[in-house]
Amino acid sequence: MMKQNSFNLSEMSLDKQKAPFVYTDEQLIARFQAGDENAYIELVNRFRDRLINFVFQFLGDREQSEDVVQDTMLKLYMKKHYYREIAKFSTWIYTIARNLANTELRKRKRRKTTLLSQMTRDERDYDLPAIQPEIGQEVQSQFAEKRIQAAIHALPEHFKTVIILRDIQELSYDDISSIVNVPLGTVKSRINRARLQLQVDLKDLR
Amino acid sequence: MNRYQFEDLISEYIENELSLSKRKEFETYLEENPDARGLVESIRTNMAQMKTIPKVIVSPDFNDRLLARIQSDHNRLDIPITSQRTIFGFTPVYASLMTGLVIAFVFVSMQLVSPADGGTPSQTQFYAEDSVPSLSNPPLQNVKNRTPDLADADADSSLENNKIKSKKDFSKQMHFVND
Repeated sequence: MMKQNSFNLSEMSLDKQKAPFVYTDEQLIARFQAGDENAYIELVNRFRDRLINFVFQFLGDREQSEDVVQDTMLKLYMKKHYYREIAKFSTWIYTIARNLANTELRKRKRRKTTLLSQMTRDERDYDLPAIQPEIGQEVQSQFAEKRIQAAIHALPEHFKTVIILRDIQELSYDDISSIVNVPLGTVKSRINRARLQLQVDLKDLR
Repeated sequence: MNRYQFEDLISEYIENELSLSKRKEFETYLEENPDARGLVESIRTNMAQMKTIPKVIVSPDFNDRLLARIQSDHNRLDIPITSQRTIFGFTPVYASLMTGLVIAFVFVSMQLVSPADGGTPSQTQFYAEDSVPSLSNPPLQNVKNRTPDLADADADSSLENNKIKSKKDFSKQMHFVND
């Protein structure tokens, strides 16, 4: 059982006197499995921003993404003994986050279907407000970002995951292969196809 | 190199993962096809732009909320479930089933185990005490003893006939090839 106030989450670093990343992720999870809850805090601090960026690309909603990351971290806490050092810790935690994000997406799709079926015909026929690029560097850049994110969202699921992991999260092909559980060659092929697809979708951006 | 081969190798070219010979082949194709060069540049730009997408960060109270959730989960697990009565940790249904099984086990055990005070042996015991016929070859003594019995049975005509048949002379039916 967890002791009350056994760790203080406001103290972020595992050992502030030492270099912050003195332990590898695998060493930290091993320490956490042995009962060191400070190691858990360090893992949370290392991965929370990386994971929210990853999940945000799927969900497109910051608050929901944060909830998914919270669930991921909670799962890490509760299921710490499920991790075996046969894979990298990052691979394991990304896999959990991806599965939870997929679950959230499925829930969302169900909700959307229900809402649409409850709408009247007039309510269903609506146009999305068009985003007009305005003059100004900053606005143009924001517009480009939105277009890229929309193009990523529009990709098929198996392309979307690998392109996010490679081009946004900058993970290695091997890690991506482990996370999505497909052979390395398939990962490379999917990434290449996803890039070609994005290029088609974003052709009019330039 | 055709168009399909070119498209398959774009990512590997951009990420410098092509062998020298393949790279040369790829670059030759680019020189011959200006639109292909445009495609590669376009993909390269997209990749660069994806890296510049502003990073999302968690809210400042992320860790506090996480701690609160962990603690509430622990509290929830610590609360004993009082709404359902249990017997030695089993629900009444399982407790009844377990009791029934234990009683059945004891009863069967009592039937199997012989009573120590010389009471009437059970049917199972009766059979258990009987000599069990061996499936292996009988001892030699038994064979000797039984041989006369078999000899007595020689009167059996079918056995006699069999013996005669087995001793039948086929010499008259044999012909040599040279004959």
